[in-house]
Amino acid sequence: MPLDFNFTEEQEHLRRTIREFAEKFITPRVFEIEQKERIPNEIIREMARLGLFGVSIPEEYGGLYLDPITAGVIVEELARADLSCSTPVLYLVHTAWSYIAQKYGRKEFKEEILPLAAEGKLWIGIATTEPGAGSDLRSITTIAKKEGDEYVVNGEKAFISGVREALEQFEMGGGHLTLVKTAPEKGHRGMTMMFIPIRSPGIAIKYEKGWGRKGVSWASYKLDNVRVPEKYVIGNEGRGFYIAMEGFDYARALIATVCCAVAKRALELTMDYIKQRKVFGIPLAKFEGIQFPLAEHWARIEAAQLLAYKALWALKMEREGKMSRFEVSKIAAEAKMIAVLTAIRAIDDAMRWFGAFGYTEECPLTLAIKAVKSYEWAEGATDIMKIIVAREILGREFLPYR
Amino acid sequence: MNGEIFVFIETREGSIVDSSLEVLGKARLLADKADFNVGALLLGYNIRHLAKELICRGADVVHLVDDKRLEKYTALPYTKAIVKIVQNEKPDILILAATTTGRDLGPRIAARLRTGITADCTDLDIGDYVDPLTGEKFRNVLYQIRPAFGGEIMATIVTPRHRPQMATVRPGLFSIPPKDESRSGDVREWTIEFTDFETQSIEVLESKREQRKVDLKSAKIIVSGGRGAGPKGFELIKELAKILGGEVGASRAAVEAGWISYDHQVGLTGQTVKPEIYIACGISGAIQHIVGMKDSRIIIAINKDPNAPIFKIADYGIVGDLFVILPKLIERLKSQKP
Amino acid sequence: MNIIVLVKPVPDPKAPVRLKPDGTIDREKVPLTVNLYDKHAVEAAVRIKEKYGGKVIAISMAPPHAIEVLREALAMGVDDAILLSDKRLAGSDTLATSYALSQAIRKIGDFDLILCGMESTDGNTGHVGPEVAEFLGIPHVTYVERIEIRDRHVIVKRLVEGGYEILKVKLPALLTITNTANEPRIPTIRDVLKARRKTIIVWNVDDIGVDPNKVGLRGSPTRILKIEKVILKRKGKIFTEPDVDKVIESFLAELKKDGVSLVR
Repeated sequence: MPLDFNFTEEQEHLRRTIREFAEKFITPRVFEIEQKERIPNEIIREMARLGLFGVSIPEEYGGLYLDPITAGVIVEELARADLSCSTPVLYLVHTAWSYIAQKYGRKEFKEEILPLAAEGKLWIGIATTEPGAGSDLRSITTIAKKEGDEYVVNGEKAFISGVREALEQFEMGGGHLTLVKTAPEKGHRGMTMMFIPIRSPGIAIKYEKGWGRKGVSWASYKLDNVRVPEKYVIGNEGRGFYIAMEGFDYARALIATVCCAVAKRALELTMDYIKQRKVFGIPLAKFEGIQFPLAEHWARIEAAQLLAYKALWALKMEREGKMSRFEVSKIAAEAKMIAVLTAIRAIDDAMRWFGAFGYTEECPLTLAIKAVKSYEWAEGATDIMKIIVAREILGREFLPYR
Repeated sequence: MNGEIFVFIETREGSIVDSSLEVLGKARLLADKADFNVGALLLGYNIRHLAKELICRGADVVHLVDDKRLEKYTALPYTKAIVKIVQNEKPDILILAATTTGRDLGPRIAARLRTGITADCTDLDIGDYVDPLTGEKFRNVLYQIRPAFGGEIMATIVTPRHRPQMATVRPGLFSIPPKDESRSGDVREWTIEFTDFETQSIEVLESKREQRKVDLKSAKIIVSGGRGAGPKGFELIKELAKILGGEVGASRAAVEAGWISYDHQVGLTGQTVKPEIYIACGISGAIQHIVGMKDSRIIIAINKDPNAPIFKIADYGIVGDLFVILPKLIERLKSQKP
Repeated sequence: MNIIVLVKPVPDPKAPVRLKPDGTIDREKVPLTVNLYDKHAVEAAVRIKEKYGGKVIAISMAPPHAIEVLREALAMGVDDAILLSDKRLAGSDTLATSYALSQAIRKIGDFDLILCGMESTDGNTGHVGPEVAEFLGIPHVTYVERIEIRDRHVIVKRLVEGGYEILKVKLPALLTITNTANEPRIPTIRDVLKARRKTIIVWNVDDIGVDPNKVGLRGSPTRILKIEKVILKRKGKIFTEPDVDKVIESFLAELKKDGVSLVR
């Protein structure tokens, strides 16, 4: 594999542009975002103006349709500037799942929803988790029954991101690509994905309070005879599980990029500090007890970052028909697993080197570690990542639950 | 005699602007060191009475152009007048204060005379220069000294072959020369022909200069107070700032305590400043404050606590109670002022 | 309105300065970006174009790899970009640079307004604007914060110490723009992608009829005698005498010895 580790001039130019935006608009307000548990409307509007919500949407619907690597460059800059991860999450969830929406959605759905999504007037998220089923998606109990040209959905979704944002902060609202069972007796082959607008009647919302990533809302909601038109089915009945897995791969690759960017930035801030802070008359940075672990963390983050970009590249290859679904899933799972682990350990040590200040709520590292830890379970728990990788490298016959 | 140093004199509302006097003072020092004469360029309307003061402050000759069309500064007529005088008198050196006027006028004159000009010098000197390519030696040239690349570099620039050697000088660095009534000198008046193009291309419609509001970013001296100051401490700090001609800064703790407004806050959640001198009173030196002032050229700290982190980044410090130190310091400095 | 904007690619101010072993500045490895102040000039020009119609052309005099910096100007809404690049221009001071730029502007043809930033973040002279105006024989005003377009003239607000002036300036003219004039726009992704597809014209010394003796090191009246890196080491002279008068005396004496004067 002849490798070129450079980004294109175009990607570098975009990187500089997003960095300028993020440093100017987002970084000064990161603490405010966490404290008020909300991303200011001005920031969301500016993100929309720049085109950040049209990254996965084809040009015919008003989007930019950028390749996954370029989408990754963008999320990297957002994460670097926003250690609370709220703005990168808002961007990446919409980017991954609007990609799925445009790939598998019906024509009337696409014509209705995608132009609004591209303009940043409508937000698209994902709702698979339920109180009784997270990693074990086959066990979800939300049922959708066909009645004429509608589905009637009953059930409950838990710990879903972006509910409040879709309700209040996007002009035309938004919704979630929701995993439901249309044929419960068929197990995971009876699952269907459908777009359910959050403003649909019959949805009763209860907000959860997370430990970190507070800028993006987190909610559970009951669905009581919620009516969903047929045109909102994504893909075909029975294909929901597989479509969900495909979307998760894109989200995971972007998440891996986010974790690495956050960890790198945390290390950079720490390096500024340890160069100045003196102990016994010597800057902390001179002590090998700090240099050695720092060097290791740095190298591991670099490695994790490369794996994250490989996952994005794999998604690009898949779009071009050059890589299989399973290969992509494997790399995405590797990337997310390694990135989260590596980032948490690096930020943990970095906080320690800040001493008491590292423990204060004024220290951005406390935001960073809380945010990154959420990815131990969000969009695929670490243990599931391990199952995926093991399955691919050992062979399906070794799956534990078969 | 080695030649002449010309100084451009700016006037406003019938008196000479301080920064022009600073440059005149520096010119006098250079002239005395290396045997030059000093010529002052006095342009404006109804300003001939200022010639005497210029001679008292060190000019040997005052070149005067008193013309209604020069009442307010605009680039073209001023350039015309000065270039005419310079082409006749052929001074070796022409310097201006780097005010908004100086920085507007200086380069235009330099371009018309096809000579070199260095901007915003923080020091000037006279010395020799050897051209590394030809080995030619130039004696008694003007050393134009200034910082570059955001202050990381100090450069010394010379204009060996072209005349006059030009430079603009940063205001507020040199002292105003004292008036010596016994000094004598010449006043030479010039009449300049201006074209319509020169006098009518730029017209000043309105001009307003007022008391500055809090401007920490361009302040040369900042005296700052922290948690140890209290409202009484800030009264002392304000007085010290006034004597030094500086601005008042504050740490976040002081602002949150309500002793001073947020416009004065320096630090991570306030402003980042880079003055010549930063005097921190009753400020412990928490990193959130330090990041806002660590690039000050000189840092002075006054604090009761000898272990306060601020002392680790200070050039000079006094360990003591600011309520005791500041009044005495103010008293001593008052007696030093001319 | 046909507007020309002078754009200078400068080393990214956030990157540290490196000196080569011979003491000159190592310009090779430093990432380049648009001079921050020129961004305000570009923004001002684009806003005038959006309001009154016309064309904005950006021009830079820089080494070949600076071509990417001009794309930033294109992404902000500039219509065309020209790079003036030639080995013979290397080492030009402000006089030589201004001469070369003015020749390039003559080749561009008619213009109503030339805008540039009030200074650059690397040289900080602010001289190129007025010198270009002199070479072209047009009026100039520096430190302009606001521009109002009229028939054959502009009304500008110029910032001065402690206040401002309002001036009427006949066109064509050159204005240098302050950083308080506006907030330079951040281009959208679409703007960036469009800018990447535009061709940037490159001219050399022969294309614009410049006398090689008047540019480069040979055409520059000023020379650098020496450059010294300023190493900021805090002196750490702390005075701890218990007697107030004594400690203040020692403190002031030390300041005097080091040539630091508090009172002017």
